[in-house]
Amino acid sequence: MKPKGILGEPELFGTAYGVQKYFVQSYMKLPIEDFIYYAINSPSNNFGYKGYMPGNNNYWQAYKNSLASMSGEIYGWNVDIKEEGVGYWPYDDIRIVNVFINNFSNYKSKYDDATYNSLMGEARFLRAFFYQGMAKRYGGVPIVTEVQDPVTTPAEELQVPRATEYDTWKFIYEDLKFAMENMKPTSVTGRANKYVAAALMSRSMLYAGRVAKYTQHLGFSADAAVQGGFAGMDPSKANEFFQYAYDAGLLIKTGPYALYTKNYPDKATNFANLFLDKSSPETMFSKGYDGLTFGHCYDALMSPNPDFSSFVGAEGGPVLQHMQLYDFPALTDEQGKPVRFAKRSDIKNEMEPRLLGTCYFDGDELRGKTFDIQKGIYVKYTGTAADAQNGSNAAPINATANRKLGNKGDKYNGVLITGNHGLHANKGGENNAFMGAFIRKYVDVNRPAALANVNKSTTSWIAFRLGEIYLNTAEAAYELGKRTEAFDYVEAIRERAGCKVTRPAIDQATSSTYGYPVEASLQFIRDERGRELYGENHYWWDLKTWRTTDQVLNNRYLRALACYYVFDEGKYIYLDEINRDNRTKTAAKRSAYEKIPQGEINKNPKLLPQNPLY
Amino acid sequence: MKNILYLLIMALLLSFTACQEIDNWEEPSARIYGNVIDKYTGSNLLMDQNDWQIRIIDRTWEEKNPGAVSQFQSLAVMKDGVYNNTKLFSGTYDMLPYDGPFWPVDTVKGVILDKETQQDFTVTPYLQLTNFKATLNGTNLTLECNVKAPIITGLPNLYEVKGFLSLTTFCGNSNYININEYNNLRKNINKTWAAEVGTADNKNYSLGPFPVKSGYTYYVRIGANVNALSRRYNYTEIVKVVVP
Repeated sequence: MKPKGILGEPELFGTAYGVQKYFVQSYMKLPIEDFIYYAINSPSNNFGYKGYMPGNNNYWQAYKNSLASMSGEIYGWNVDIKEEGVGYWPYDDIRIVNVFINNFSNYKSKYDDATYNSLMGEARFLRAFFYQGMAKRYGGVPIVTEVQDPVTTPAEELQVPRATEYDTWKFIYEDLKFAMENMKPTSVTGRANKYVAAALMSRSMLYAGRVAKYTQHLGFSADAAVQGGFAGMDPSKANEFFQYAYDAGLLIKTGPYALYTKNYPDKATNFANLFLDKSSPETMFSKGYDGLTFGHCYDALMSPNPDFSSFVGAEGGPVLQHMQLYDFPALTDEQGKPVRFAKRSDIKNEMEPRLLGTCYFDGDELRGKTFDIQKGIYVKYTGTAADAQNGSNAAPINATANRKLGNKGDKYNGVLITGNHGLHANKGGENNAFMGAFIRKYVDVNRPAALANVNKSTTSWIAFRLGEIYLNTAEAAYELGKRTEAFDYVEAIRERAGCKVTRPAIDQATSSTYGYPVEASLQFIRDERGRELYGENHYWWDLKTWRTTDQVLNNRYLRALACYYVFDEGKYIYLDEINRDNRTKTAAKRSAYEKIPQGEINKNPKLLPQNPLY
Repeated sequence: MKNILYLLIMALLLSFTACQEIDNWEEPSARIYGNVIDKYTGSNLLMDQNDWQIRIIDRTWEEKNPGAVSQFQSLAVMKDGVYNNTKLFSGTYDMLPYDGPFWPVDTVKGVILDKETQQDFTVTPYLQLTNFKATLNGTNLTLECNVKAPIITGLPNLYEVKGFLSLTTFCGNSNYININEYNNLRKNINKTWAAEVGTADNKNYSLGPFPVKSGYTYYVRIGANVNALSRRYNYTEIVKVVVP
């Protein structure tokens, strides 16, 4: 007897609600690197999800193993860089979308043209999303548009060969072009519309343009995968892709989105609320959590326990190199001596509001408590900041008689040595600011500490927001030679951020800091992404597609902002220290591409040649 | 009851052995060995244990199995520039020293493996490190050498010059005292040869002082690399330093 209640194609494809139900499984599995993305491994008990995992499968450690942690934006858990990737290979998801694309025409009579085209466009958007998830990892991958029957199809045909990287990105372009032309202009939260398709176009084509333009500098040209066009593209193709990204940006400008300014004139709070306000006009596409069926642990893992979190507490803090990309106060004076601050929180006086909206510093309040961050006490500090040798115990000024370090509650002559929230000498404990500050971005201020617990957080992850699109368009425009126009976008972003200089002069002098010549203003736009999109899991993909992973993450010390009380002066100083574990980040050159999973090659040798250096 | 249990265990044990069949495939017995020779010195390339590998691809397998695609195996090269593998199947192979600190070489096609085969490779290193001196001053060790680029045209960026210290006779990027205190003393250059050195074809580098411990014996050398593929190092010879 056939079980009742199974929905077949007529039920699912025959009505718009059925289609919505059918699409849910694809939306759930879109390659969005959000709160629960595991950057470095794919636990086996996870229905075969590779890195991206839906739901409350007790993956509270996901943010410990985040891309931000792996790429050195935040410091916490020791996450080694995994160049070969997590083996993301979503052809099962692509098949589900292909079933729809191939069979939906049988139900055309049940819809008006606009709805039919919009749903078809949405399916093409979903397919493009899965493909860009692979293209940014592997370069060229097999392009499958048919639904193959594994039983009747000969093995020869099941083994689809790898397409070139150019064809793969062009395939994504074609899908998204169709989606942009056919989808409706509005959608419910969590579902795509034509502008969201354009946003994916903007990001993907920018990646493709960078790959085309900069892969030549890697020195892989003799490799079989490069020779065959499977990894890397001809530099002459770069402008084609930059143009697509630029055009998508122009389309989005005509849409209903605007930069978030609801909390003006407080630009710091405004920037922080942009990530919490679910009705933000800047959010284009987000992934939601209800805290019941689907929750995440971001709040439980970003702020220290027990004052702000009732779970393990802060697992990562902002790295000083990244904080110093913003308008940041000088830590030393002209003679190289540490600047004296009357109060610890005075360091915030000269800071860019956007940084204050991104990180919590000493004196900031959250959940009814105040951040209290200090590393130790210098009995006296007479020399320059360099004398402290980045916090090394070997420096004479750091001798135990002069530098007092302690654990929570320890005192020196009646004065507390360290703050309540670190930095503590015993290293352990999740109530400890490893880096001298905490993350504010995406931290839900309205959540009481008791409910900052495992799988309880309900903040939506913003997959696309207008701020990113502006920066995508700016970079694409700059690469196309439209330098002035590029800075119009940068200016809008920096205006909202509250920067001191909103529009720096264009500087075309080139430098080769990262292995190949880049104009100073282009580097500025790249750094602007680092500032605006900090902690949003863009950094790794940016470095990867700029082809600078191995140059930027080259024995890179993650540095900490360490506040000390100078006892004989009654003032505070801030020192630039190497992280407490002396940890460095190094990415191998092969990180430009991930490794095609060996298991897939065993099933389909036509995936060869393998990507360079694997 | 006990008997039934024994019977069950017996049945279980038997079930494990029931499928045994004799593997009649002959064990691989062909040997390939040889040297990787530095074109400039004529002797074996200075390297560290398993820094990089020789790729070897079995073409006979493809001939015997139409449609099959052979994937490469990697043969380790030892620190004296010698490689030796005694467990390969006889047949025709292609061989390629890959991703080493030398200018890319062509694949050697059609190497026939049958019992004993010697196949030497001559490679052109990116850099030559000569006049290596290790000077001990108390417990401070200074390393010095001359870095020369015989071919400057097309040379990738000079990337870094790094001192390697080891407590065993194995010394190089695969075996060294990997601590930040030492690693920080490397010269991170990442510039074109012209920008770093100018028109000359060589430059002296001095690294250190490395703080070493009294009573220990160190094996030390300098490595330098260019920004090619995996940035393997060209090395000086290894020098033994006894700290009194």
